[in-house]
Amino acid sequence: MAGDFLSFKEKGSVLNRIYPLVKMIWVLLIAVGLFLFKTPFSGGVMFVLILTLSMAGGKISPKEILRSALIVFGLGFLLMIFHFFFDPGEVVWSWYFLTITDYGLIQGPIFFFRLSVIVLSSFLLIWTTDTRDLMTSFIKAGMPYRYAYTIFLAMRFLPLIQKEVDAVQSAHAIRGRASGSGLSHRFKLWQRYVFTILINGIRKAEITADALECRAFGYKKQRTCVKDVTFRKRDLVLPILTLLILAGLIYMEHIRWIDIFGL
Amino acid sequence: MALFTIFNVAVLVVLGLIARFTDKNITEKKEGGYTTQNLVIIAVLAAIAGVINTGVGNLWYLVNTSLGPLGGALIQGMFMWAYILAVFIVRRPGVALIFGLIEAGTEVLLGNAAGIGTLGWGISQGLAIEAVLLICTYSRFGFVTAVMAGMAASQFGTLWTSVFYGWDPSYSKDVWMAAPINLISGAIFSGALGYFLATKIAKTGLVRSAKK
Repeated sequence: MAGDFLSFKEKGSVLNRIYPLVKMIWVLLIAVGLFLFKTPFSGGVMFVLILTLSMAGGKISPKEILRSALIVFGLGFLLMIFHFFFDPGEVVWSWYFLTITDYGLIQGPIFFFRLSVIVLSSFLLIWTTDTRDLMTSFIKAGMPYRYAYTIFLAMRFLPLIQKEVDAVQSAHAIRGRASGSGLSHRFKLWQRYVFTILINGIRKAEITADALECRAFGYKKQRTCVKDVTFRKRDLVLPILTLLILAGLIYMEHIRWIDIFGL
Repeated sequence: MALFTIFNVAVLVVLGLIARFTDKNITEKKEGGYTTQNLVIIAVLAAIAGVINTGVGNLWYLVNTSLGPLGGALIQGMFMWAYILAVFIVRRPGVALIFGLIEAGTEVLLGNAAGIGTLGWGISQGLAIEAVLLICTYSRFGFVTAVMAGMAASQFGTLWTSVFYGWDPSYSKDVWMAAPINLISGAIFSGALGYFLATKIAKTGLVRSAKK
């Protein structure tokens, strides 16, 4: 399970106040935009912008960003290296069987920025959005609440599953050696853990379903929310601004970047 | 990419037809919407699978980004066992796709290293299982169908991987060479494992939903 560094933080920031569904659409917009970029420069610009927005608009400290840096940048970096060596093109450097191509040198950074920006913006969504608010905004957008509740329930069950894992581990520990054993023994233990957790999880699900139906869950088509989220027109500023930036960058790719950098 | 997409769709159809004509475990197709119990079971399984897959995902990303499609193919099949399990417990049309979306959504919120891109795998893998089950008219739930669905999901998921990571099938031979490994990986780690878990859970008699 992800550590505390990847959980919702209410900091009263600008991004905290933006309507959750708008933020979700904003992340999807960025992802689509990144797929359309053909040069690393546009990805680089977006990377700097999202990083600045995280700190200024989301009040996410550089320390928090650094703690997730391995996930955000590490895999993107590996992907970049892979593209350096395995993409076709004219060889610009070689050493024994390893060769770097000119096409790989352009594609590598494109994929580094694509992965890093998509992951960073997704993390920004997690840092600044309460899951409950996100589900409420889905319902308000017309999603049947029984389905939205399913997503919320999945998140609600996460800490319970973690507790279940701890309980099963402890139960095994008092009956024998649970740690410090060999790899095959550990594998057998994990088999037992997973099976027990699955059985207990499904049984809990059945009991929860019974309890929900006893309270007439799903009887009415509409449902009220304890904590409401309200959409304001100014929330649209973020996706509209992003859309303009993305369009501008795509335009620059076709017209300017090529001339400026001779691509 | 177009050729690779056609290839993947063809693989789906072939696997679906194999399941349709060889699986003798025929049950009555369930009609109607989802009950609350169905939805809660999907949610719980998605939460459990989300936690496990986020961990396995980190290993997969490491292998996939450093070794390419061939490295990723080795453990590509390790993500869909829960899809098969959910499908074999709930047994209704659309379960795999809904499960895929919720499980992938859980992974996104847990901090999956692909961010919102994870939804692409949830959708593609869920759709692949749905396609196999649709060909089987949602009435075959035996070992063969489970294995074929696992193989289909494992291979079809690579379509999104190719788009997301830029493995262009027009020049990357690895993407094509990885196909048989993906299929085997999906058959063992998703199909067979998911079916094994579903039958073991049913045998315990502790779970009402698993009693068929």
